[in-house]
Amino acid sequence: MNAAQGSTQATAGPARGAWTRYLPVLLVGVGLVFVTLALGLLSRTAADANAFARLQPLLLGINGIGILVLLVLIGRKAWRLALDYRRHVPGSRMMLRAVGTFAVLAVVPLLVVYWLSLQFLNRGIDSWFDVNVRQGFADALTLSRSSLSLRMGDFLARTEGAARELSGESEIGVVVRLDSIRRANGAEEMIVVGANRRLVAFSSSAGAGALPMLPGEDVLLQTRQDRPFVSLDPTGDGGYGVFTAAPLPGRAPSEEPLVLVGQYAIPDRLAKLAEGVQGASAQYGRLTYQRPYLKGTFTLTLTMVLLLSLLAAVYGALFWAQRLVQPVQDLIAGTRAVAKGDFETRLSLPSRDEIGFLVTSFNEMTKRLARARAETELSRAAVEKERANLATVLARLSTGVIAFEPDLHIRSMNAAAGSILGVDPEQVAGVALADASRLNRWLGQFLDRVGERLQSGQAEWREQVPIHDEGSRRELMCACTALPVVGETAGGFVVVFDDITTLLQAQRDAAWGEVARRLAHEIKNPLTPIQLSAERMRRKFLGSMNEKDAQVLERATHTIVQQVEAMKGMVNAFSEYARAPQLALEPFDLNALVSEVAELYRAGEAPVQVELTLEPGLEAVEADRGRVRQILSNLLKNALEALEGTPDPAVQVITRRTEWHGQPVVQIEVVDNGPGFQRELMGQVFDPYVTSKPKGTGLGLAIVKKVVEEHGGRIEAHNGPEGGARVLVALPLNEQSRAQLGARETRKSEPRRERA
Amino acid sequence: MAPVALADEARFEVRSAYLEPVDGVMQLNATLELGLSSTAQEALRDGVPVTLTLESQLRRNRRFLPDATVAEIEQRWRLQYHALSDRWLVTHLNTGQQTSWPTQVAALEHLSRPRGVPIIDAPLLRDGATYEASLRATAEVGGVPDSLKMLMFWVQWQRTTDWYTWTVRP
Repeated sequence: MNAAQGSTQATAGPARGAWTRYLPVLLVGVGLVFVTLALGLLSRTAADANAFARLQPLLLGINGIGILVLLVLIGRKAWRLALDYRRHVPGSRMMLRAVGTFAVLAVVPLLVVYWLSLQFLNRGIDSWFDVNVRQGFADALTLSRSSLSLRMGDFLARTEGAARELSGESEIGVVVRLDSIRRANGAEEMIVVGANRRLVAFSSSAGAGALPMLPGEDVLLQTRQDRPFVSLDPTGDGGYGVFTAAPLPGRAPSEEPLVLVGQYAIPDRLAKLAEGVQGASAQYGRLTYQRPYLKGTFTLTLTMVLLLSLLAAVYGALFWAQRLVQPVQDLIAGTRAVAKGDFETRLSLPSRDEIGFLVTSFNEMTKRLARARAETELSRAAVEKERANLATVLARLSTGVIAFEPDLHIRSMNAAAGSILGVDPEQVAGVALADASRLNRWLGQFLDRVGERLQSGQAEWREQVPIHDEGSRRELMCACTALPVVGETAGGFVVVFDDITTLLQAQRDAAWGEVARRLAHEIKNPLTPIQLSAERMRRKFLGSMNEKDAQVLERATHTIVQQVEAMKGMVNAFSEYARAPQLALEPFDLNALVSEVAELYRAGEAPVQVELTLEPGLEAVEADRGRVRQILSNLLKNALEALEGTPDPAVQVITRRTEWHGQPVVQIEVVDNGPGFQRELMGQVFDPYVTSKPKGTGLGLAIVKKVVEEHGGRIEAHNGPEGGARVLVALPLNEQSRAQLGARETRKSEPRRERA
Repeated sequence: MAPVALADEARFEVRSAYLEPVDGVMQLNATLELGLSSTAQEALRDGVPVTLTLESQLRRNRRFLPDATVAEIEQRWRLQYHALSDRWLVTHLNTGQQTSWPTQVAALEHLSRPRGVPIIDAPLLRDGATYEASLRATAEVGGVPDSLKMLMFWVQWQRTTDWYTWTVRP
């Protein structure tokens, strides 16, 4: 796999989009702007209560929104941190410590600033109500009143003077003169009121359309008691008017009392000054009233701003702690991934500081590890491939190969070795040599010999090792060599061996064939002239000799003829052994043939009991009937000859249908109760001229074996558990099974032949 | 900090009210008990204005339907101490007309007896119908920003009388 394709990006948490990543930064930025704005507004309002009143909702709104947003953000981060801490996520403890440190570092100065600001605000507000200020306002009011009192006294004097001028005038006279008197005194309005607030006369600078302002009963009551009235009244438009009232003197008790009411305007300049003093005083009075509320509100607002700042500081602590810890968490995650074998982990570069250098080094390390692993993988794959190839070669090899550890444990064994030694290669892998010897007789004999060699320190040797069991003998050609020691890999030994039994058999067969052919050619030809010559000598000289000589001649020629006949028989037997196979295959009833041949031997003079155990309904066998008859004859003859001298001699012939290597075969088993095969001849009983009988030629079983093999069958010779010989012959049932078994034998023997 | 602005044991209620036709106009005359708390009186002396609002309603009773409001009048006055002139100013905020009084008692006395407040033209009232007139007064401390009032929500910035209701049969 391409390293680039397999590379992964290690992150501590789930993948986050750019929007999610930058949202907190954006919110914090906006929050900082708002906090700055709020603090700026607050500092402005500290000097201006009206501005505070205007900006208060804005401040509260900003703070409220900010606090809500921050609470949500902090809650999210704190919840995630708590979960990470509980799950022991790497880096969570470090982040908690970092958050705590940052929070303390940020919160403590904020609290100090808060306390100082609170003091400043309270003192600032209290300074508005300083005793000197209050006294200043009171003095200003007194001064203004004094100034206005002079004017008021002057206006009252004018009204009283006018009243005196009008005294003694009739009501008509009052009406006529009032306007001129008003003008003369500079009054805005003058009216003369009688009893029950009856308007007697009226004059106003506003003209005739103006409505007179009648005085109240309290004013009239006061003036009738001969106490003039004067008051200063704000006009509502920022001006001031002086309201005066004085009785018209000299009125008779019987006459209706009249009161002159005059209104004068305070000059604009003076009125403005007075209004300024009044306004400031009123404002001060309102502030005095609002003072506790203002202080509370300021404190509340400042507390909200502080809360906002605190939350922002805590969030900032969380944010920066996460920024600080994130690369470490990534590194931990990356290290764990590497520990688990994921060398494709690559970390994103957080910054160009020390952490960035660490991350770069980590990435370089994983890159090199990945490259090294890839190279190792390639090497391993090459080794595996070679090993697989070797295993395939070894598996297909007909030569057995066994590898031993230096401590003589079996390291491995190929299939051919298992097949030759009759053992499962998997079963013996890792087993000590001494233990493996007990698994199988062939294996035991083989390993015993190998063990002797190896334990004696012989590492390089070559030897032909015979192994045998009850029925067969094998010859193994072994070669041993020491394996080289590579690095820490132990050397050990490898033993290579071939089953050369077939090869040797073939060699023997060929040799005996040649012997037989030569015997037939070189010996048989002179035998006839020898016999004829002997008979001729007998005929010619027998009659002319005396009786004693004639008897000698008779015995000599008889012996010659008899021995020549014997030699002819032997030569014919060898000829039969050496002849070329010409099979005339045809289906026939094997049981019938067995019965027929057995009957011949039952009819003989030998008192041998021949018992037949024939499988009923046995299928017809496709074979050369004559050759099979020869097989049966030889086997029975061999058995009968072996039974000479045996009490109660008996031969049993058994036929049965069975399978051999999955192919249908008929099995002929000839069992006798004789002495059996000699143990030292086991494995050689089918060789020519090998016999334990005094009269045998040693070719009977050899011919049988040859005929059986010509039919593609198999022959085995054993000794029974209770004595006696037991010969098993398996013949293919038909041409198809013969072909299959022949092909198998060909496959099995081909490589050996090639090597041979 | 004063816990309350207007709340006190002083009575604050509509003692009596009636409508009378004057020159074809149904006019309201009422007598109020405008007891202000000592805190409020102090605030008044500091120049803080107090606003008096009279809300009057006239509804015609209907048998099967909800009563119909035929007139709804709101009159507002402001009482404020004028330190320079040492006078108590009563300003009718609907008309801007201002009167001054030498004492707080006189000014409150004036405010507590509203006379001739026009409610509805008399011809607009149906003969035989039954009307229900209601009146209530509200005194509110002025000179405090609304935002401050909102923030200091636990302070009783105003007092309102119960509705004073009576039947009118033209």
